Amino acid sequence: MIVRVRIIDGREFQVKFEGCDVRVKDVLKKLKLSSEEYVVVKSGNVVTEEDGVSDGDELILYPVVSGG
Amino acid sequence: MVKCSYCSKPAVYISKADGKAYCAKHFIEYFDRKVRRTIRRYGLFSKKEHIVVAVSGGKDSLSLLHYLMRLAKKVPTWKISALLINEGIKGYREYTIKDFLDFINDYKDIDYKIVSFKEEFGATLDEIVRIGKKKGLPYLPCSYCGVFRRYLLNKVAREMGATVLATAHNLDDVIQTYLMNIIKNSWDKIARLSPTTGSAKHPKFVRKVKPFFEVLEKETTLYAILNNIYPKHFVECPYAQTNIRWTIRKQLNELEERMPGTKYGLLQSLLTSLNLLKRSGREVVELSTCKVCGEPSSHDICRACMFRMELGMIRSI
Repeated sequence: MIVRVRIIDGREFQVKFEGCDVRVKDVLKKLKLSSEEYVVVKSGNVVTEEDGVSDGDELILYPVVSGG
Repeated sequence: MVKCSYCSKPAVYISKADGKAYCAKHFIEYFDRKVRRTIRRYGLFSKKEHIVVAVSGGKDSLSLLHYLMRLAKKVPTWKISALLINEGIKGYREYTIKDFLDFINDYKDIDYKIVSFKEEFGATLDEIVRIGKKKGLPYLPCSYCGVFRRYLLNKVAREMGATVLATAHNLDDVIQTYLMNIIKNSWDKIARLSPTTGSAKHPKFVRKVKPFFEVLEKETTLYAILNNIYPKHFVECPYAQTNIRWTIRKQLNELEERMPGTKYGLLQSLLTSLNLLKRSGREVVELSTCKVCGEPSSHDICRACMFRMELGMIRSI
């Protein structure tokens, strides 16, 4: 399955997985991103790192860490 | 789908401290409880206050302004104003000012002030950094920025009639600073990390408070998103990565992921340190008056005037 990821700083990724039991935290882990550093939105709703993702889902990531 | 521990709605947050899941409504209640507890526990505000909120246009300070304005509706004897310091960082600050003004546009009744380094000191931070480099001064951009920003926040908040200045420092900010000062063995600076600077006495000193002292940075971000006030522009300060804070922040987030509870543990450690410092009498900050500008200072000449002298912006004495 393929999950699209868009970080609001402009970065975009496509993440491929074998099998279908995939959670948000698995997507972040594959991108080497810390769940401490992003709030994740799926289909317009905030989701937790334990929520599941499906083929074709798009995750939008809001950075927690901002330099300022 | 993860369900809220208090109702059957979809969860938006799982607290690693207690493993509980929260839907949007119950997260806002949890957030509110946490901040109110800090306000009550450390006596941050009195019944009658003019609270000036230090804002940058970022998610944390907009969340704090939003939170305090909501709370002030229940406390009519409070006045809330906002103060933004424009350091003059090209490619960054102009966007966060726009985000702040967009936010303010929805609250017609709030007083605010924007003050710039250029107007107050005669140079933007970008210009100050260039002058410093040319003169071979050993300071990082964040050193100038922090000193000049704190100086103006105190001075302008006082001129605005503030009884207290609220900053949006969250738990992450506080423990990062704690670690930075442990590394430097700067216990006097650690003593200033309490949620309120209640012990500093000087007629020109405005008391500072940190209502988000016990709130994680991830929680302020979520609060901003759920309240639709997350800034539209995602911009990073071009100088941020020159600061050791950047590295400590990354390391702490990695550690928290591997060892949940690390951040709360460090906060407890800080509270223990503050208690020990208080008992040893080191918590009290003695303030005198700067010989040059007349502002409160812990030395004969304040750090802002020292920097200005070294930069050649004012005459040395």
